[in-house]
Amino acid sequence: MTTTAPSKRAVTIHDRLAEREQQLARRRRMIEAIQGQGLVLVFVVVFVIMWTSSPYFFTINNLATAAGVVSVLGVMAVAETMVIIGGEIDVSIGSVMALSSVLIGMCVGWGINPWVASLIAALAAAGIGLLNGILVVWFKINSLVVTLGMYSIALGIAYMLSNSSTVIVGGSDFEQLGSGNIWKLPIQFFVFLGLWAVGYATLRWTALGRHIYAVGNNYEAAVRAGIRADMLRIGLFITIALSAALAGVIVTSELSSAAPQVGDPYLLAVVTAAILGGASLAGGRGTLVGTLVAVGILGVLQNGFALLSLSVYTQYMVIGVLLILAVLTDQLARRAER
Amino acid sequence: MTATEAVTTNGGEVVLAARDVSHFYGSLAALQDVNIEVRRGEVVGLVGDNGAGKSTLLKILCGAVRPSQGSLFIDGKEVSFHSPRESRDKGIEVVYQDLALATELSVTENIFLGRETRRRGLVGRMRVLDRPAMASEARKALDALGIGISDVRARTGLLSGGERQAVAVARAVTWGQKVLLLDEPTAALAVVEQRKIEELVRQVRKQHVGVIIVSHNLRQVSELCDRVHILLHGRVAGVLPKEQATPEELVRWITGVAVESGEDIPEEVAEAELHPEE
Repeated sequence: MTTTAPSKRAVTIHDRLAEREQQLARRRRMIEAIQGQGLVLVFVVVFVIMWTSSPYFFTINNLATAAGVVSVLGVMAVAETMVIIGGEIDVSIGSVMALSSVLIGMCVGWGINPWVASLIAALAAAGIGLLNGILVVWFKINSLVVTLGMYSIALGIAYMLSNSSTVIVGGSDFEQLGSGNIWKLPIQFFVFLGLWAVGYATLRWTALGRHIYAVGNNYEAAVRAGIRADMLRIGLFITIALSAALAGVIVTSELSSAAPQVGDPYLLAVVTAAILGGASLAGGRGTLVGTLVAVGILGVLQNGFALLSLSVYTQYMVIGVLLILAVLTDQLARRAER
Repeated sequence: MTATEAVTTNGGEVVLAARDVSHFYGSLAALQDVNIEVRRGEVVGLVGDNGAGKSTLLKILCGAVRPSQGSLFIDGKEVSFHSPRESRDKGIEVVYQDLALATELSVTENIFLGRETRRRGLVGRMRVLDRPAMASEARKALDALGIGISDVRARTGLLSGGERQAVAVARAVTWGQKVLLLDEPTAALAVVEQRKIEELVRQVRKQHVGVIIVSHNLRQVSELCDRVHILLHGRVAGVLPKEQATPEELVRWITGVAVESGEDIPEEVAEAELHPEE
């Protein structure tokens, strides 16, 4: 009797532990479901509100315009989501985008073909991405600090090179990228969807995608598993800089002009989209489906608020509230995981 | 004849051996003339006080550190590792104390992390993963070790600490066909879960893998190991066979009391081991 007593107690404790584990798992799954579906719900609610509030909202022309506007944001949000899942952040994109636009303007001014000019801008952006990556990886500086500094530097260069002035970028077929349509939808929207699909497939179906999650989630474990985590992070910084260059190309084409101010609206919108979509700044967590829905929400809000002639400040506040709610649910999810 | 050379057990052939290994950090000797070997299906304990050189030795064995002097042998052939990757390719795996899993990834994804299986043909060329194949391999690996995790697609963040460490061991056994190095595998675990990992080590031994386990838990070492090497100030102070490696005796060796009193228990016992009376 006396010998069985302790073991009996041990089993009970173990059972209780197991029960607790299951309880935590259940709670986590619930929060994850709320996070995933909550976002879609927000999108639907916002969409329906706009639909009922303005007769112009649910028209093909308006939706096409909204899709075009949001695509520039979306292109960068796809890359930013991957960077954040990889455990880093890049806030330099707005000014890299501006610098790309200015570079295109300069090159075109020298008589270079706009497409070739875009390629040059992309190379410059890749260089900035590489520099960001090297500073973060080799010199072990926090990526927020590095890219904040780079944001300032790139913006300074953009203004300096352009003398704060706008340059007209002509070229018939170049303008098509930002203003042409396929089936009534803007070409840039298809560029965004294509990029999103490639990003989605990479994250979900390839080893590289799994490695991005692993590096952001547990850097040590990833390195021990033989993943070249540092090359991967540098690659992510180059990728996002290239996405910013692409955004710069699209906007330059859309406006038929190059200017250092084009990046301004995107400074924080891109990070907002990624985080609203469920990407966690702690790394290792997030999906591009979430980002897609978040980009949709931001697009509908922006478009709808303009249609309702509500002030842009109201829009800022709504986005801010949504962002904090999104981070709050992520925090709750983490707490449930102990 | 030193104690180290004398003690052998009746396991399989030697899979991993370190001969006369010394390592210096500047002028400081972390290890001096250390000999250790592990046979297939054998569990060797490595104990010693903090700073006795356990982690340095483990790092040398897994290729993370190159020894200043001495040599390593795998299956009797001399090898030299330039990185942990090279030792992994030769079938040596390490399990760390701090649960080195990506908690956002599933059990399967963790087991295959860095060594994913791709689909065949064109789709595979596009680097698409073969999830079903990996899942069934993971299932097999867990079952072979008797690890009771029902869903290999579950995120490891949802598992208990013991289950996570079990996954880490399963991963190591899946890839480490020869030697498993365990660095304080249960230090972060509750007692009940420690027992499970110990049972797991016994299962690993049955699969003819050589195991070297570093642990501060002397009860565990004495129950689990066929042979225990005691490091003291960077040297192998003694090697105790299972029968002698009681927690009390281990403490005497770890603290150096046994050495100072000039005891030479290992050699005598080793003789008895080699020529059993019965």
